[in-house]
Amino acid sequence: MKKSRWQVPLTLVFIFMGILISLQFQAQSRIASDLTMQRTENLIAMVRGLSDKRQKLAVEIVDLNQQLRSQMESYRDETKLKTNLKAELDKLNILTGNTPLEGSGLTITISQNMPVLYIDLIHITNELWAAGAEAISINEYRITNNTSIFFGEEELSNVITVNNHRLSFPIIIRALGDSNNLEKGLTMPGGIMDRLALFNAYPFLEQAESLTIPASQDVHYNYFLKEYKPPENEPAINTADPHIPDNPASLRI
Amino acid sequence: MKQKWLLPLTIVCIISSFSLAFQLKILNYSSNSNPLSEKNTNLVTIINDLEAEIKEQENQIEKIRNDLSTLQNQQVEGELQELQDELQKVKILSGLTPVSGKGIVITVDDYSQGLQANPNDDPNKYIIHYENLLNIVSELKVGGAEAISINDQRLITTSEIRCVGNVILVNTTRIAPPFEVRVIGSPKILAEIINNGELEILRTSNFPVTLEEQNEVIIPAYKGELQFNYSQAVKGD
Repeated sequence: MKKSRWQVPLTLVFIFMGILISLQFQAQSRIASDLTMQRTENLIAMVRGLSDKRQKLAVEIVDLNQQLRSQMESYRDETKLKTNLKAELDKLNILTGNTPLEGSGLTITISQNMPVLYIDLIHITNELWAAGAEAISINEYRITNNTSIFFGEEELSNVITVNNHRLSFPIIIRALGDSNNLEKGLTMPGGIMDRLALFNAYPFLEQAESLTIPASQDVHYNYFLKEYKPPENEPAINTADPHIPDNPASLRI
Repeated sequence: MKQKWLLPLTIVCIISSFSLAFQLKILNYSSNSNPLSEKNTNLVTIINDLEAEIKEQENQIEKIRNDLSTLQNQQVEGELQELQDELQKVKILSGLTPVSGKGIVITVDDYSQGLQANPNDDPNKYIIHYENLLNIVSELKVGGAEAISINDQRLITTSEIRCVGNVILVNTTRIAPPFEVRVIGSPKILAEIINNGELEILRTSNFPVTLEEQNEVIIPAYKGELQFNYSQAVKGD
């Protein structure tokens, strides 16, 4: 009699625990990158980001079609053709940093007494790009595709370098774009400014009506890169591949 | 008699409350267990629809850009030809064309085995975060990378690497593990800097990491928008 009284609750405990553990295991392994497991506010943020992107892509398509039409019409008109090519060149030079630019935007000033590391500058520029910055400079250096932000050692202390140029204080980051959006991108709760505040670094943000951003000074040589021309009658590389990787995490949606 | 019942009952209660507490903690991570999940399902549907539409748009953009390039490269005469050549050069530099060359291919993945072995641990310790990718990319740039893509998203000047919750976005496009970073540049320099940097850190934490030197790394073109509404070239140039 004594024994059976013990057995029943014990069995129950084990069964119960078994179920809980397996449930927990399931919950755990599903968390990582499954969309349905994300917080609602994050999903809303994603929807917003994607809607913005769709909007921009739609504008881009209209622009490109216009360009295409204009290019066809100017087939025999050399001056018009030249204007078209020039216009596109100007646009792409915003990306390559070949020309100085002006416009509205945001300046971020970091003074010498703030404990800011090179990695913080990488995060600040990353956030600025995410917030729709069109061009960025740090002090007199334009940030492009190939710009490296790193550190160097000098007189027993670390200095931040941009393309191996030592940055002197105050460090002034200038970004062109919608100044409100740029500021919001940096100051959102839990964002880069909050993180810097933990280390008692409070960079000074200021929206500006008119900013000038210098052209890139460093000539970047490409020793290895060449244009890739896909073989005839075959689609360009991976265009057939879906953008969303076909890994099991995304299949669960 | 009463006491003999009491002891097992107490044990049952203690154990089950512990388990329940654990379970609740886990559910908190995902925060959308029951009432919200329907709303989330709707949001996920919207996200999937938007992504499909965006993919369509990107293909369209790629096609028009190709047509445009073909047109732009047809006429060949004197001064115009110079302009054409310059435009083509700038297109390659800015990431509008697919490129190829010597380089390395890096893959990093979530450490899911570790998570399975320690189901009670914080799952954030076992997944790749956007910071890891951002560090990899910035180290590659220090190593003189000439072109970089992550899971077929070409990085251009204005590209960002971010996360929303645990989902990583590049060029506002969702990418999922395993992450493949393709780089064109000196394989030796790139491998040295990345092996002593972020990859070393990931390896120490047992993340599955591979690095391969290749003679021809192919990197796709940027397919997104290029809209500049706030920047103007400084006049008087």
